Amino acid sequence: MSDVLVEFNNISKFFGSVIALKDVTMKVKKGEIMCLLGDNGAGKSTLIKTLSGVHKPDEGEIIVEGKKTEFDSPRDALDMGIATVYQDLALVSLMSVTRNFFMGREPKKGFGPFKTFDIQKANKIAAERMGQIGIDVRDPSQAVGTMSGGERQCLAISRAIYFGAKVLILDEPTSALGVHQASVVLKYIVKAASQGLGVILITHNVHHAYPVGNSFTILNRGKSLGTYPKKDLSREKLLGMMAGGEELDKLEVELKEMDRISSN
Amino acid sequence: MKTLKNFILAIAAWAVMSVSALATDVIVVSHGQANDPFWSVAKNGVDAACKDQGISCKYTAPGTFDMVEMAKLIDNAVSQKPKGIVITLPDAAALGKSVKAAIAAGIPVVSMNSGSDDFQSLGISAHVGQTEFEAGVGGGMKMKAAGGKKALCVNHEVGNVALDRRCAGFKKGFGGSVDILGTSNDPTEIQSAVAAKLGGGYDTILTLGAGLSGEAALKALEAAGKVGKVKLGTFDMSPGMLKAAAAGKVEFLIDQQQYLQGYLPIVIFSQYMKWGVMPAGVVMTGPGFVTPDNASAVIKWAAQGYR
Amino acid sequence: MSLKEQSIKGKIQDERLRKVSKLKVLLNRPELGALGGSILVFIFFGIIAGDTGMFSAYGTINFLEVSANLGIIAIGAAMLMIGGEFDLSVGSMIGFAGICIAIPAIYWGWPLWMAILFAFSMAVLVGYLNGILVVRTGLPSFIVTLAMLFILRGATLALTRLITGRTQVPGLRVLIENDPIAWIFSADAFKSLFVWMGNLGLIALRTDGTPLATGIPASVLWWIGLTVFATWILMKTSYGNWIFGAGGDKNGARNVGVPVNRVKTSLFIGTAVCATIYACVQVLDAGSADTMRGNLKELEAIVAAVVGGCLLTGGYGSAIGAAFGALIFGTVSMGIYYTEVDTDWFKVFLGVMMLIAVIFNNFIRKRVTENK
Repeated sequence: MSDVLVEFNNISKFFGSVIALKDVTMKVKKGEIMCLLGDNGAGKSTLIKTLSGVHKPDEGEIIVEGKKTEFDSPRDALDMGIATVYQDLALVSLMSVTRNFFMGREPKKGFGPFKTFDIQKANKIAAERMGQIGIDVRDPSQAVGTMSGGERQCLAISRAIYFGAKVLILDEPTSALGVHQASVVLKYIVKAASQGLGVILITHNVHHAYPVGNSFTILNRGKSLGTYPKKDLSREKLLGMMAGGEELDKLEVELKEMDRISSN
Repeated sequence: MKTLKNFILAIAAWAVMSVSALATDVIVVSHGQANDPFWSVAKNGVDAACKDQGISCKYTAPGTFDMVEMAKLIDNAVSQKPKGIVITLPDAAALGKSVKAAIAAGIPVVSMNSGSDDFQSLGISAHVGQTEFEAGVGGGMKMKAAGGKKALCVNHEVGNVALDRRCAGFKKGFGGSVDILGTSNDPTEIQSAVAAKLGGGYDTILTLGAGLSGEAALKALEAAGKVGKVKLGTFDMSPGMLKAAAAGKVEFLIDQQQYLQGYLPIVIFSQYMKWGVMPAGVVMTGPGFVTPDNASAVIKWAAQGYR
Repeated sequence: MSLKEQSIKGKIQDERLRKVSKLKVLLNRPELGALGGSILVFIFFGIIAGDTGMFSAYGTINFLEVSANLGIIAIGAAMLMIGGEFDLSVGSMIGFAGICIAIPAIYWGWPLWMAILFAFSMAVLVGYLNGILVVRTGLPSFIVTLAMLFILRGATLALTRLITGRTQVPGLRVLIENDPIAWIFSADAFKSLFVWMGNLGLIALRTDGTPLATGIPASVLWWIGLTVFATWILMKTSYGNWIFGAGGDKNGARNVGVPVNRVKTSLFIGTAVCATIYACVQVLDAGSADTMRGNLKELEAIVAAVVGGCLLTGGYGSAIGAAFGALIFGTVSMGIYYTEVDTDWFKVFLGVMMLIAVIFNNFIRKRVTENK
């Protein structure tokens, strides 16, 4: 049995005459954290939406655990164990931790048409799972809005894992967080991966990606610049590839030139 | 939070001081809103009578013509245990239950303005208003006395029982030949319909609404140069017709004198409270006739809210 | 710290918190504003109108009936608002449902119970139409239901005039007596209790010895029943959780598998059914249907829901709160007639009450999402 959880081969996506993605290939293994990096406008969000079932690829194939598949909707991807945590987290800040955790998949008790939402059981499970991440939810019926950004991210990830995700796609989980909160989330991601999940971590922040990633795919203007395991890549080289290193070099030269002219 | 609490207490104290309720002697529940020019005259009658008789009254009406809300207002009045309740009765079926409950609770009820057909079956003691048929008779008699022989009764809503009765009563009082001209309620159409009939030898025209058909008929007469040659009378009043009456162009306006519809029930109750006396049947407030002789006085009083 | 020590410490913390949190939990509930408002209103009228008969049995039933009628449609409006939508066609539905009951019963000779069932099936149809229009077009429900407001009211007027030649259909009262269903909407409950109280002299009597107030009106029982039912749905069922989710974050809820479209459509059916219950009560009480009934009632229902703690943006609110909102509304609208205050001030009061309610709700919402 191969270790590869999901493979995306030669994925292309067109919107009319615009080529959003061309020939992007990626795969994720069990326990691997694959970082998908790219500057804004590189095509990351289109790629996520294709990976999570919102868009259908115009070219290429998706292979889940060795079987070729097509996602007709995000629900399909979810059913196959590919869970996506978007930037807005899909959490309702006015509702309690428990209600958010079990939204759409509430545990029930009772029978027939009088089945009720088993809130006591749900509260217990939610508090337990959050405790396992190290977040002390004092009262699981407190509103999610009272939690910090990092805690909310962890809640969303924990929810995805609880409901059987095999592959986690995380869209910019640390972008809106401060340093401390970001590290809490990254630690949780590492823990999740160590339990056998595959993680695709999408970000434009190399300093968050580099410490936790096992391999890195760089996206630039809709095309993949390749996938590199960590041992083949230094942090600077990665930065350079992402930011379009030659452009920065050229900029440096031009700035030096302007300096020289003005000081004459 | 503390300033909010103090603020609320201050408002409450002010409210208590300015608003404390005393038991009311007579509560009026009318379907006419006080901001309606017709009904503000009636309300003025109520207020004046209360002052003159030295009793306390309240005039209430639902925000819109809503019989359900009006029934609730009658219930509301009953719970206050007044000495008497005055109502208008535009819909006996919808209001009947509440009226009967009032009477069953021992509170006498007098009706005004509408419901002259139904008031007795509900147990209402007396009705103050203008009955349509009798008002029509009065108008017919007046036109007969003025020398009319061949009349046209312009009905702008055939099938409306009240209006049909006006023409029927007019026919009885007039004696001569009366033709009924049914029209729409569009003033231009009314004017042309009347104009078309002017060649038929009519010397009398009666319209059933002043602002709508009265003024339209007047326009038709003016256009044909027949003002004065054809006698024009109308039910109800409007500023335009009042002016025309003052100028001698209109024979009469039939005024139901809603001031009395507000005034008299209060007097009835104040006397009932004192001596237990109560008129039987209908107390007619109309037809009152506004003619070229008294039109200018009426215009003055209308501006003050008494006509 | 070992795991055992950690969990013990956690338990102790929880126990300490439990005592404080019950009060805090109460203070954070959306119903608080409406409950407080109700108490204030009762104190206010108790002071200024205490001995006018407002709180006699007959007077209490008077304002409770008005509250109950509004409460019935406010529950529907509240649940829909929590689900993130508005229904402006409720008032027109009231008029339409009334005609659906009256015309078949009077002009086509149907038994009353059949006409009532017909009206409810029309409600399901209209609600379903509202629902799929909103979820399929993606247009704001405000616009879609506003269009439906005109369509329904126009259809009510046109069809009634076409079939009957007038705008009113009277004559229903006699049909109630022998009908198997009609009593559910029109009968008084606990009649014998009121007779007993009358015999004891506790409440006012008629001249024939029977009590003036005959019993608890059916509308009040419907109001209470619907409030309990709606609260149970919202708090205790997964469907209720989906309503909160659909209103709080429609796409997020959809992404975790909540059938948002089905939830919203069912809520529109709910408001139409509530409007029909209102119409049944009113038509059987007045004995007639009228094409203009229910005019502007949808706005009152929304006000009651907002006063009750429902956020206009959805995802937060309470059916109990809406019930108290309706109670405030009914008490004030009838209470004002016991005072010397000009009834035109009622509109001013209504607006001020709404403002205060919304500010208060905003305050509560901030506390819920920012406080711990």
